[in-house]
Amino acid sequence: MIEVRNLTKTYPGTLALCGISFRVEKGEVAGFLGPNGAGKSTTMRILTCFLAPTGGSASMAGFDVVRQSLEVRRRVGYLPESNPLYAEMRVEEYLHFRARIKGVAAGDRARRVGEVVERCGLAERRASIIGHLSKGYRQRVGLADAIVHNPEIVILDEPTQGLDPNQVREMRDVIRNLGKERTVFLSSHILSEVEKVCGRILIINRGKLVEQGTPEEISNRRMKTGRVRLDVRGDGRAIKEALEKTPGVARILWAAKSDMNSYLVEPRDGQDIRAEIFRRCAGSGWEVFELAYERLSLEELFTEVTVEAPAEAPPTALPVPPSAEGTAP
Amino acid sequence: MTNFFALARRELGVYFVSPMAYVILTALLALSGFGFTASMENFAEQRLPVDFRPTLSAIVAVVVMTSALVTMRLIAEEKSKGTIEIVLTAPVTETQFVLAKFAAAMTLLVYLNLLTVGFVLIIAQYGQVDWGAVACGYMGVLLVGAVLYSAGLFISSLCTSQVTAGMITFMLSFVLIVVGQVSPYLAAESWLYRVLGYFNLYGNFADFLKGVVDVGRLVFLLSMVIFSLFVTVRVVESRRWR
Repeated sequence: MIEVRNLTKTYPGTLALCGISFRVEKGEVAGFLGPNGAGKSTTMRILTCFLAPTGGSASMAGFDVVRQSLEVRRRVGYLPESNPLYAEMRVEEYLHFRARIKGVAAGDRARRVGEVVERCGLAERRASIIGHLSKGYRQRVGLADAIVHNPEIVILDEPTQGLDPNQVREMRDVIRNLGKERTVFLSSHILSEVEKVCGRILIINRGKLVEQGTPEEISNRRMKTGRVRLDVRGDGRAIKEALEKTPGVARILWAAKSDMNSYLVEPRDGQDIRAEIFRRCAGSGWEVFELAYERLSLEELFTEVTVEAPAEAPPTALPVPPSAEGTAP
Repeated sequence: MTNFFALARRELGVYFVSPMAYVILTALLALSGFGFTASMENFAEQRLPVDFRPTLSAIVAVVVMTSALVTMRLIAEEKSKGTIEIVLTAPVTETQFVLAKFAAAMTLLVYLNLLTVGFVLIIAQYGQVDWGAVACGYMGVLLVGAVLYSAGLFISSLCTSQVTAGMITFMLSFVLIVVGQVSPYLAAESWLYRVLGYFNLYGNFADFLKGVVDVGRLVFLLSMVIFSLFVTVRVVESRRWR
């Protein structure tokens, strides 16, 4: 549905996109994630034919964004980042105008506008002047506009920006419903949002695609630190000594809170030491509450892939929990 | 074509939901009304046949003075508010976008001029009207308007701030008038005199007032309009490549 090949965009003095390639299949909800200035909006503007790429190509629903731009624009609905609207128009009047310039047949316009007004929860405000609407309602008008011509592909640039938590949830529901019948490509720098809505995530940083896949794929590939997290009740020092004797253990970090001990165990050469740890704890009568690979949250992953690590940072440094009482080595 | 009409209609609507149309309308009716009354009194005192030309001169003066107001926001506002992004990501070509804006400005001009036709009807009631000369004069008003509006539209496409666009357009219309005051100081045979003669909007207009249509001038003015619109389309297109 969306196919991007080696897309490059330079602005005078800056390289905004350096050769990104990806595909979004029909019926997918894909999330575009990255810090501000990473090139998300630039990519979306190229896909919606507002900007032309400096190099590479992109096609939407089989049409090239440069050579067949009108065909592309007929099939794409777009909600730009700042959600610009004609403030002096009334909601319904505006949607009629938009439906008309987007080529909705005269006989279908009233029905389509009625549908999107209902769907986006604008029924009570259909006669309001857009300039008088609150931010949340304006965002709904922008979304209604994006789908008024029944597009195959919907592109939403930061759709939940500036909305309150309830509005964010509503917007998420609308997007999820949209995804049932169309291809949706949305951008955000709010990770939890992307994780909840999107079947696939693309992470971009400094104009380069740094990671892509389903949330699970990315988490398996990038979020496993290899370290094992162990919560166990028992004599902390004894447990620590037992763990140190376990074959394959490289380093241990210990934090205790009353009689509950938390350990982060780093194995040697990535071997799976969970079973052995469990046997030893069970054998000594220590109650295991949690034993699992430590996973990065999406938040930490985002930091990991988008913030360049300082070159001489020790790669094996273990994070110290704030409640640490005893640490090793 | 649907796109073009939808865009032009919206654009025309903006003039009437903002004070803009009413400000220009008031200025036009006040000044041309004053010109009309004063000239009629003058003709009556001197026992001369009535003439509509002084009123038309007043009308064109208002058109020139207000051209910046009409055109400054057209594209600059879309750029500053970001709405250009929603228009040009809809299936609308840059040509439709620019021509619709020009058409809206010209429709406003025609509408304003229709209101002044009342003066002609008053003359027709009490005396003789040279309908050909009047039509020719109005054509002159529209041509002067078209030149200034297309130039203003071009300037608006270059600016992000409508105030800047308005000031530059106002300066330009001022220059196009001043040219007429400079040319008498040049030798009549020099090339500069002839070139400035073409750009002399008031001079061109004076010909139309006399009821004379010089094809050369007509072609020149129309090609200025077409050229301005063409470069405006190019400027709007250029955002894609910059």
